[in-house]
Amino acid sequence: MVIDIAIVSLAISGVLATYRVLRGPTWGDRVTAFDFLTVNLAVMVVVAALRTGFTPLLDAALIISILGFLSTVALARYLLLGRVMR
Amino acid sequence: MRGSWTARLALPVLATAGTCARAAAPARVPSALDGQPVAQVLVLLGCVFLLAAAVGLVRFPDVYTRLHAATKLVTLGGLGIFTGAGIAFYPVDGTPRVLLIAGFFFLTAPLSGYMIARSAYLRGLPWFQEEGSVDDWGALGSEAQVSAEER
Repeated sequence: MVIDIAIVSLAISGVLATYRVLRGPTWGDRVTAFDFLTVNLAVMVVVAALRTGFTPLLDAALIISILGFLSTVALARYLLLGRVMR
Repeated sequence: MRGSWTARLALPVLATAGTCARAAAPARVPSALDGQPVAQVLVLLGCVFLLAAAVGLVRFPDVYTRLHAATKLVTLGGLGIFTGAGIAFYPVDGTPRVLLIAGFFFLTAPLSGYMIARSAYLRGLPWFQEEGSVDDWGALGSEAQVSAEER
């Protein structure tokens, strides 16, 4: 019961953040909503692992979290400096 | 004749439909959260925080206020859900991995929000202005900082 509520609320928040990604007036809004979407995806994978009891999904959640952080930092640096690394 | 024809027609149909519905309904798979009230409360709290962050992401007028919603609330919500999962997985081998995700997430979520806010401010994205808005950092602002970073 609790986990069904969790799944539905995560789906709703993903839809709202997708609206902000598509609609956002500036690139800052899009990057912010993209960061939120990656976090939301990692949380959804953890909730799927809770629902099914299939613990190898947690490795996938860790990888998604790391990739989301790295891509957000790379996007921010690219939009600030025009390049990612020196 | 015993009973009307509607009853004689409808009762077997209804009984068959009920049997089919019972057969088609999937068996309830027990989740890892069942019977763990602390983990349930933590996961629900995290989902409420994430939903509030999404609502703030849609409703707020500005990049910086949206970052305010999407950084703090997401940190708290993700930490709640990951800690709840760590408690729920405790007898099985999932707990160290979930706590690793929670620690990594607690370190990196404010950092990515800081990076986005910094590049947005230094690139001079507009903010929501009303009567009495003051940019405290104004004179040090955008282009000089970017060129100083590029050197």
